[in-house]
Amino acid sequence: MASDSVKLYTAIYVALLVLAFSKFVFFEFPEYFTYGQAFAGTMVAAAIKSVLIVGYFQHLRWENKSLTYLMLLALGLAMLLMAAATYSIT
Amino acid sequence: MADLPPTTSVRRWLVTTNHKDIGILYTITALFFLLFGGVLALLIRLQLWDPANQVMSGLAYNEAVTAHGLIMVFWFLSPFAFGFANYFVPLQIGADDLAFPRLNALSYWMYLFSGVLLGISFFQGGTLDAGWTMYAPLNVPMYTPSIGSTGAVLALFMFVVGVTASTVNFLTSIHHSRAEGMGLMDMPMFTWSILATVWMMLFAFAALLAVGLILASDRVLGSVYFSATEGGSLLWGHLFWFFGHPEVYIVFFPALGVMLELFQTFSGRRLVGRKWVIISICLISVQSFLVWMHHMFLTTINLEIKTLMMATTIGISLPFDLLVFALIYTLIKGRIQFTTPFLFAFGALLLFILGGITGVFLGAIVLDYEFRGTYWVVAHFHYVMFGGATALFGGAYYWFPKMTGKMYDEFLGKVHFVVFFIGFNAVYFSMFLAWETPRRVYEYNPAFQGMHQAGTIGAFLLGASFFIMFYNFAKSYVSGPDAGDNPWDYSRTAEWAISSPPPLENWPNRPSYASGKLEFVKDYVPDGGPAVKADEDGNAVTDGGDSHSEHIRNYPYWDKHPSHASIWPILLSLATGIMLLGLSGFNNSTEFHFGDSVSQFSVEVLNPVYPTLTVLGLLGLIWAGWKWGAEDFYAPPSEFGERWPFEGVEKVKLGMWFFLASDVIVFGAFISAAVFIRWNAGWMSWEPIPASLPGLINTFVLLTSSFTVILALVAAHRQHRTGLLASIGATMLLGFTFLAVKAWEWWEKIYVDGVYLATVPEGYSAIQASVYFVTTGLHAVHVIGGLLIAMFLFVRAYRGAYMEDGRPVEYFGLYWHFVDIVWVFLFPLFYLF
Repeated sequence: MASDSVKLYTAIYVALLVLAFSKFVFFEFPEYFTYGQAFAGTMVAAAIKSVLIVGYFQHLRWENKSLTYLMLLALGLAMLLMAAATYSIT
Repeated sequence: MADLPPTTSVRRWLVTTNHKDIGILYTITALFFLLFGGVLALLIRLQLWDPANQVMSGLAYNEAVTAHGLIMVFWFLSPFAFGFANYFVPLQIGADDLAFPRLNALSYWMYLFSGVLLGISFFQGGTLDAGWTMYAPLNVPMYTPSIGSTGAVLALFMFVVGVTASTVNFLTSIHHSRAEGMGLMDMPMFTWSILATVWMMLFAFAALLAVGLILASDRVLGSVYFSATEGGSLLWGHLFWFFGHPEVYIVFFPALGVMLELFQTFSGRRLVGRKWVIISICLISVQSFLVWMHHMFLTTINLEIKTLMMATTIGISLPFDLLVFALIYTLIKGRIQFTTPFLFAFGALLLFILGGITGVFLGAIVLDYEFRGTYWVVAHFHYVMFGGATALFGGAYYWFPKMTGKMYDEFLGKVHFVVFFIGFNAVYFSMFLAWETPRRVYEYNPAFQGMHQAGTIGAFLLGASFFIMFYNFAKSYVSGPDAGDNPWDYSRTAEWAISSPPPLENWPNRPSYASGKLEFVKDYVPDGGPAVKADEDGNAVTDGGDSHSEHIRNYPYWDKHPSHASIWPILLSLATGIMLLGLSGFNNSTEFHFGDSVSQFSVEVLNPVYPTLTVLGLLGLIWAGWKWGAEDFYAPPSEFGERWPFEGVEKVKLGMWFFLASDVIVFGAFISAAVFIRWNAGWMSWEPIPASLPGLINTFVLLTSSFTVILALVAAHRQHRTGLLASIGATMLLGFTFLAVKAWEWWEKIYVDGVYLATVPEGYSAIQASVYFVTTGLHAVHVIGGLLIAMFLFVRAYRGAYMEDGRPVEYFGLYWHFVDIVWVFLFPLFYLF
């Protein structure tokens, strides 16, 4: 059963705002972060945000694990397409 | 509209949502497209009778080749199989209907009207002539400028929308509505083949939807993806074949399922190695996504990936070997009855073996260099796809008695098989012998004339054979002997346990396999609650409050009778068809003048027909969608269904997650396209087109809207009407804010920086602008779609809905959060990197 706690959802929301802002910061201060570092940091932040939204706002954390595997399968195939296609022209 | 008219009424066939009716509609429509594609094939063969023939112009020949391929692959093969799937999968799993009956009807009408659109495209200055693979850059307006070419692309897009709905429906049905006691491994082989097929379809057709959307954007809006020198053609190859190779198995698997079913029935023997056959089917489904670049051996992709794809391609032949040996060994162990269905199934196996072996040649890089673009490929894939589909005709004979209650004429059936088999091999084996003939070219080396003439004779023989089948079925339907419930000695699936044809709601009582065999059990239905299991005396028995009981209790209208009719699927599809017909000529009928400021923006309408159709279709779409949502249509879940591996997941929620998984691939393909093109152009040679600040603002806006959506769900659960209205209202406000910021951002790009889809100042590339506008535009379209749903929810909530049942708010939230997640990745990709 999914949570009905407004407090929990508010905490998640605040975490999402902070993570969103961190992506902006990575690229606004090139004197502190190289492009590679900013890229990696942004992708990590994006991944964490996605997990938080899927896990809590979409309630996947409380659902049957098979739904998680379903979405991971779709994500894996999309990543495969991107990686293999891009690698094919290197 | 809950009343279903009788089968003698035309109205019945326009409003029905019953799976058996839809199955019949699919079957008949697919046979019409067989004739359509078949006539085009005969035109092609007439042209090839003589290397200097002028039956058709070069352009007309190219159109015939293209339309023949598209029609046979998309509008005949799979829909024919899904006619049977519609009719028999619910019966084989012990369900009353598919999970979403209205969605099923929508899929059919989308299919029909998409075919009508394709037909109309012939009269719009000529249809597409780029081959069924629609390779770039042949597929862009510069090389295929006719309105009909755009019409054909949009027809395919519409077809794929219907397929997506159907895929979600079958996946949800099979994973949610199996009769009590029917585990996945217990399912009949035909249903297993359909399950594997729809799993592949979920991901493969999403890629086709994405590539179709991008192509539609190039043709209707003027973006330049597939004409880009930064890998546009290769991008098409990757996206199309990521769909295209699984598509081979998507077409073949239902036929394989029929083969497996028929081999068992007519050998009187359970399938040998059944478990391993199922494992092989699953393996092939996975492997089908790992081989797509073997269709690209002649492109400039690197040798390492070609070698890897060669290995994976050879690897996929291994589970196929197991399937073939299991089929052969089943026959060896059994006592064969040479009925018409069996002959077609056995013929299909022989043809498929030849098709499979000749395909291994194409999987080897060096041999592919020689065979690619020749009639070897044409012969090979006809042996695989049409050869496999031969079993579907066996399925038609096999299930004809069940669908009509009448027995077909066995002698005519066998004559059909003999003529079919001779014609088939004459037309396609001659292609192997004349393999050096270049594919899709209507002139050829006169040395091959004899082979091509044999092929043409074979093609007419093959075409004529179907009229034997049509005559047989028509005659038998009118005056054939009664078939009884089960005319076969060794059939073992549930459809043969009920009358022919089956009644509207299929079963006398609830089917159950709990005892190890099919039984029809009577449930106890108390006043004021859902059905519960009953003992032999009809008294209620408790089962410890398991998850499906809770699941049913969530349906507050449990005591209503299931609905079987709705007018909205056909009207929604018709509106979509009209809108797409309008869009096909939109680019040729309008000119946009941006001017120096928004006040100078103007649209010049050169031909009002197409824009009018577009607007009418769009309005009709919104109206029909609204009415669909408001309709009181009741399709309850099965009460004691087996749900593995999705136990405890409510029916609509499961369907929603399947849809989202497919949308992951759609956006994944768009993002892959952006990354691929940028990598080709040189990653660091691109600077973000928009400033990062509006992107950041919109990120905060969307995240906040996700928060308000979750608050809406909490309010619904707490039956707090004001909170619900406030939360949905806030979500709408934030959605509009997102669009306003997006509009401002685009305005600045267009009017300040001079950047538009394919128009860029120095320092930008046209393809970069296309990728930015199209990808963020697709996301904005998703936001607009979400806003329309939010408005619908708001109005309903205002009228007091969702207090007892808040699930629609949750389903909307799943979608809205997904749109938010997509933005999480679009923001860095287009505003930061």
